[in-house]
Amino acid sequence: MSPLELVDDRFDKLAEELRASRPVAPVALRAQVRALEPPGPRWTFRWPSRRVVLALAGAALLASFVAAGVTGLSGSSTKQLSAVKPKSVKTIEHGDAVRQGVGGVALKTPAPNLGPLERTSDLAPTAGRLQRYQATMRLRVKNVDAMSSAAKRAMNLAHGLGGYVASVQYATRSKGGGATLVLRVPVGNVQTALTELASLGTILQQHTGILDVTRRVDREALQIAELERQLAHASPSEAPVIRAKLATLRAKHARLLKSARLARITLGLTTPAKQAAAAPSRFDRTVDDAGSVLLRELEILLYALVVAGPLLLLGAVGIAAARAQRRRADARLLERA
Amino acid sequence: MGKRRRIDAVKTEFAEAAERHLDDVHAYLVYLTGDRGTAEELAAETFARACERWHRFDPRRGGARTWLCQLARSTALDHFRAEERRRRREGRYAVSVPESEEQVFGEGLSPALEAALSRLSAAEREVVALRIVLELDGEAAARVLGISATACSTRLSRALQKLEKEVSAGVAA
Repeated sequence: MSPLELVDDRFDKLAEELRASRPVAPVALRAQVRALEPPGPRWTFRWPSRRVVLALAGAALLASFVAAGVTGLSGSSTKQLSAVKPKSVKTIEHGDAVRQGVGGVALKTPAPNLGPLERTSDLAPTAGRLQRYQATMRLRVKNVDAMSSAAKRAMNLAHGLGGYVASVQYATRSKGGGATLVLRVPVGNVQTALTELASLGTILQQHTGILDVTRRVDREALQIAELERQLAHASPSEAPVIRAKLATLRAKHARLLKSARLARITLGLTTPAKQAAAAPSRFDRTVDDAGSVLLRELEILLYALVVAGPLLLLGAVGIAAARAQRRRADARLLERA
Repeated sequence: MGKRRRIDAVKTEFAEAAERHLDDVHAYLVYLTGDRGTAEELAAETFARACERWHRFDPRRGGARTWLCQLARSTALDHFRAEERRRRREGRYAVSVPESEEQVFGEGLSPALEAALSRLSAAEREVVALRIVLELDGEAAARVLGISATACSTRLSRALQKLEKEVSAGVAA
C-alpha cells in the first residue's frame, strides 16, 4: 500500500514523479561515507524494553508477596510459641489448692481430682482446742441466676448453722458476674458449712488456715485472774489503774474467744468468663500477617507516591514543556528555512 | 579474537546500513535544505555522527533508516540554527532559497514541480520526502519528525495540497 493511499488518490501522479526522480547521492559522498569506520563496541545504557519492565514489575510484585508470606509464616510460628507458655502456667494455677497448716505453715500441693466433701474435710478443727479458723473458697457457678441462688443458699446456711453473714458484695455485668460473701459460722459446724458451700458450684480455689489460740487464751485467763487478785488488795490510788488494765484485758480476751468460736469463711462466687473466640489457625494467622505486610507495603508505596509524586509530576511537566518549546522552535526554524 | 570479531561485525553492520540508506538520507536532506551542496555536506556530517554513535543504535526502537533520518534532521536543524545566527550577525534577516538553474530535487523533475517544491517550506518538504520519496510509514515518519502519526498525516495532506496548488499555478503561468 502506497503511503499516499492514506491521504488522497489524486496525488498518485505527483508522488510517482517525485519518486521517479528522487535525488541520488553523488559518488564522492558515497566514497566519503564508505571510508568511515565506527569505533569498537562500547557499553551504553539502554532503556529496558517493555517486556523487561513488565517482567521486573511482575518479579517485584512476586517478591513482595513472597516477603509477605515468609513474614506471615515466621510471625505466626512466633505467636504460636508465645501463646503456649501462659496456657501451661494457667493450668497449674487452676489445678492447685493452697492450704495452710496449723500454726501458719503454708502447704501447697497439687489438688487431686476429689469430690467436694473430700476436698473440704481434710483440715478440721481439733476437738477440745481453741482454734481460730479461716477459710477462703472460690466457686464457679453456671450463670448469674445460679450465682444469685448460691449466694442466697450460702447466707441461709450460715444462719442455719448458728452463724451470720458478715458482709456481702454482689455484682453482675453483661458478660457475667461475681459475688463475695464473708460468713461467720461456729467452729463446730465449719466442716458442714464448707461441705455444703462446696456443693454450690465448682471449686476453683480453696484456702484454709487454722491458728491454735488455746495457750493464748489460758495465758490471758491467768493474767485476768492475777489482775483481779491485785485489785482485791490494791490501795485506792492503785485500784483505778488496775481496773482499767483489767477491762482492756477482758475485752481482748472476749474477742479472742469469739474468734475461736466463730470460723470466718470467705466465699467467692464467679460465673465462667465468656468463652474466648476460637484461636485462629496457623494458616489464618499466616494469611492475616501476610495481608498486614502487603498493606504495609502498599502504605509505603502510597507514601512514596504522595511525597515523590508532585516532584515527579513537576519534572515530567518541565520535560514535556521543554520538549514542546524545542519542537515549536524547530518548527519555526523549518518554516523560515 | 572475540573482540576483533565484534569490531569487524560492528564495522560490517554500519557499512551495510550506510550503503543501504545513504540515498535515502541524502534525498531527505536535499528536500529539507533545498540545496544539493548543503545536503551533501549535511549527509557527510550525519554519517560521521552515525559512525561515532553507532553503538547507541538500538534496532528494537526502530529501523536504521529511521534512526539515520532522525540524526540527519538533528544535523540539519543544527545547521539551520547556525545559519540563522550567522545571518543575524551579518544583518541579513531575509531567508532566501538559493536560485539555481540546476535541478535540486531530482533529475527529470518537471520545472513546475521543481519550482513548486522550492516554494514549500522546509517543514512541508521534509514530510513529503519522508512519506512520498522515502516511502516511510506514518509511524516511522512521525518518529523522525517528533510528532504524532495523526499530526504527520495532516501535515502531509496540507503539504501535498499546497504542492498541487503551486504546480497548477506554475503550469498556468
